Amino acid sequence: MEPIEIANKLKEKFPEEVLYIKEFRGQVSVTLKKGKILEICRYLHDEPDLYFDYLMDLCGADYLGKKDNRFEVVYHLYSIKHRHMIRLKAEVSENNPSINSVMPVWVGANWHEREAYDMYGIIFNGHPDLRRILLPEDWEGHPLRKDYPVKGPEKEWPGFLEVLDKAKRYSEFEWHG
Amino acid sequence: MAVYASHNDLDRMGIIPRGSPRQSDFMFVAGTVTKKMSQIVRRVYDQMPEPRYVISVGSCANSGGIFNTYSTVQGCDTFLPIDVYIPGCPPRPEAFIDGIIKLQEKIKNEHFRWSRWR
Repeated sequence: MEPIEIANKLKEKFPEEVLYIKEFRGQVSVTLKKGKILEICRYLHDEPDLYFDYLMDLCGADYLGKKDNRFEVVYHLYSIKHRHMIRLKAEVSENNPSINSVMPVWVGANWHEREAYDMYGIIFNGHPDLRRILLPEDWEGHPLRKDYPVKGPEKEWPGFLEVLDKAKRYSEFEWHG
Repeated sequence: MAVYASHNDLDRMGIIPRGSPRQSDFMFVAGTVTKKMSQIVRRVYDQMPEPRYVISVGSCANSGGIFNTYSTVQGCDTFLPIDVYIPGCPPRPEAFIDGIIKLQEKIKNEHFRWSRWR
């Protein structure tokens, strides 16, 4: 099926959830509200014409200052049987940064959602094990947000300060000066 | 890894990879060191018995490389004493062997370390 047809089919089935459909050079992305995302994904997964059984990617995006809803969760879906793909973007606002997890539909979303939580702070309801995956467990802050400094915050992570402290203490016993 | 293969062989320098830091003489830190990993690298170094040497391989281990970010340690010499630095991104196998030969010369030139006669 052509991507536009898939987007239109989705819009017919869920008219109030789809905000707008954008198309660029053959790729279609559908922007949705985040409320019924699990139902939409289940429909896309189960519908025999669409049959999106492969979640290629799940990531977050931060539009600080450019859009009203600050975050977006972007899903890239692919159908192995029909060989078509579509992009879904679910808008997540900053004052309630939570969205339903799509793990019941695609189990592989587990680590992707953990990464989106780690980097942006988007909370996934219904996720069995939502904790940091790339950064250390006790890190403060969410680095890929636009207002996070590249070189890191002023306050250094305490675990690294411990390593430096240990190195300094042990350098007294080093065998060559 | 290419350095261990047949074109440039490290076994002829007398270097055998060991499975545990407790049985090794030197370690090399290759690749970008993140802050999360720095604790573990330090622990591996602390487990090595003396005499021990460290070679830092590649620009990320030497000085953080092009990654001046929140999670990259700017050079593993902030928490480890290093003997030889091998630059490059990635370093050529010949540069690697050159670094190892430099370390061997450094070891040969150590005088009176253990006592007045050694």
